Amino acid sequence: MSFDNTPFQPRLGVSRRQVLKGMGAASSLPLIGGFAPAFASNSDGRVVVIGGGFGGATAAKYLKRANPNLAVTLVEPARTFYTCPFSNLYLGGLREMSKIAHGYDELRDRYGVEVVHTLAQDLDPDSHTVSLANGDTLHYDKLVLSPGIDIRWNALEGYDEAAAELVPHAWKAGPQTELLRRQLEGMEDGGTFVLVAPENPFRCPPGPYERASMVAHYLSQHKPSSKVLILDAKDNFSKQGLFTSGWEQLYGDSIEWVGLSGDGRVTRVDAENREVETEFGTVHRADVLNVVPPQKAGWIAERAGVTDDSGWVPVKPETFESQQVADIYVVGDATVAAPMPKSGFCANAQAKVAAAAIVASLRGDSAPDPYWSNTCYSLIGPEYGISVAGVYRIQDGVIAEVEGSGGLSPSDASPEIRQMEAEYAVGWYNAICQDTWGTDA
Amino acid sequence: MNLRLPRAATAALGACLLLGAAQQVLADDAYDLQREVMAGGCANCHGTDGARTGNVPPLAGRDADYLEERLLAFKRDEVADTTIMNRIAKGFSDDELTSLAEHFANVEQE
Ligand SMILES: Cc1cc2nc3c(=O)[nH]c(=O)nc-3n(C[C@H](O)[C@H](O)[C@H](O)COP(=O)(O)OP(=O)(O)OC[C@H]3O[C@@H](n4cnc5c(N)ncnc54)[C@H](O)[C@@H]3O)c2cc1C
Repeated sequence: MSFDNTPFQPRLGVSRRQVLKGMGAASSLPLIGGFAPAFASNSDGRVVVIGGGFGGATAAKYLKRANPNLAVTLVEPARTFYTCPFSNLYLGGLREMSKIAHGYDELRDRYGVEVVHTLAQDLDPDSHTVSLANGDTLHYDKLVLSPGIDIRWNALEGYDEAAAELVPHAWKAGPQTELLRRQLEGMEDGGTFVLVAPENPFRCPPGPYERASMVAHYLSQHKPSSKVLILDAKDNFSKQGLFTSGWEQLYGDSIEWVGLSGDGRVTRVDAENREVETEFGTVHRADVLNVVPPQKAGWIAERAGVTDDSGWVPVKPETFESQQVADIYVVGDATVAAPMPKSGFCANAQAKVAAAAIVASLRGDSAPDPYWSNTCYSLIGPEYGISVAGVYRIQDGVIAEVEGSGGLSPSDASPEIRQMEAEYAVGWYNAICQDTWGTDA
Repeated sequence: MNLRLPRAATAALGACLLLGAAQQVLADDAYDLQREVMAGGCANCHGTDGARTGNVPPLAGRDADYLEERLLAFKRDEVADTTIMNRIAKGFSDDELTSLAEHFANVEQE
């Protein structure tokens, strides 16, 4: 039976998901002979995706949705991915760790993505190959990199990998987040939680302030005489007015923020003694110390030759293809995509644009016009949510926020609106995780 | 993207796929890349294809006129107690909002 003369394909708009579902068992047939899909000869192209976080998992799924004939291989060492989004809620005692955990079954079983749980070790753009820690080599026509961030160890004096075992950053979710939570639990009432916040750019601009809020929430429940001190290398931060007024309302004066001009910039960390020293020599002692350190693109990006002197990856805005290396598309936190923030929402949105550009390019078509949007919710308390939103297009060759769109939650919103935003934050989290990994938390 | 297709046709299609003709049938161009990209951000709160049910209302399979009317009303700040949809809708032209409304109306809900 040939499909060439069936009346209902392809122009009739066959439901792609229906097709994939129908394939279910059948989709594994080509594998039986031992061919890895990345090497399937009759595919429309081979795409390797490095990183199974917000950007990478979304790219793999949306590549397959747009063209199931692509051979897509996702390389990600972890079998379970813990999201940074809502890891602050875990610290605040509002969510279990298992409720921020996601796996790769849907990508594999429903969309036919080959998922390889190992590390990509090196890349050769000339031969279009990636070498994996498991010894295999993958060939690609197009590569998607979404490696997230790495810490710039020692960029802040005294903060290296060993120090992070004593004084967690918890800026990648997982064991670091659990370590910080244990330290909070072990803290005496009346203690001080010190959070060190970095200069821009860094992953999740409102993240440190949501963290301070969630820690203050936990302390208000369990250790009410304790304090939170934020030492910041900046003079202003995301959603500042909303955070400050929310803090006052919910936590009185238990959260103190010291910015750059108030000598808030930390220049040295003494992890053993849980002390930090600021630019002008003030030493602060913490009972629990959380350092959000300076960051850069995940190291594999540097190996690929796509980073510039800033340590981040410049991309062509239309497609998110690297400006420096052909056929490598980079999405998510690793990129320079301002005014878009380094958020999971944006990583997902950029991945959809890159996936469509790749599908079009492999067909010999030009890329569709890109659209991106973002909404970053932050919880100040369990029933107190705020947000910042943005819609982005290309203007004069660069990414720009569409005039008149986006912006912050109103400063004078009612408690009902704050509560609705707290609920929508949960709705957002569940939806984006479903869209990215197919798993509800 | 689930465009509406008679159930029987879908079933027949599934059967044929099992007979091994998967490769040809999948190469369709009904998946409108441009619209998918325009609608891409909606999924982040409304789920893939706007089909998620929950406290954020689903979009999939709803009446196109209704969706269009709502989107335009958000854009013009005519919906009381809006949280973010007014801020998002302002990022799209009226025509784009109409196109999004049609797109989601044509998605079949599971
Ligand atoms: C505390 C906190 C709260 C946050 N809250 C929010 C929020 O509410 N909303 C929001 O939108 N964003 C939030 N973010 C930001 C969000 O976590 C990131 O923007 C998002 O994870 C970026 O996605 P990504 O794909 O670039 O990187 P990631 O999601 O970090 O994924 C990168 C993946 O690549 C893998 N990887 C790296 N190198 C290799 C390699 N060599 N080989 C194979 N795999 C590799 C890693 O294992 C990892 O799984 C928050 C961040 C923090 C820290």
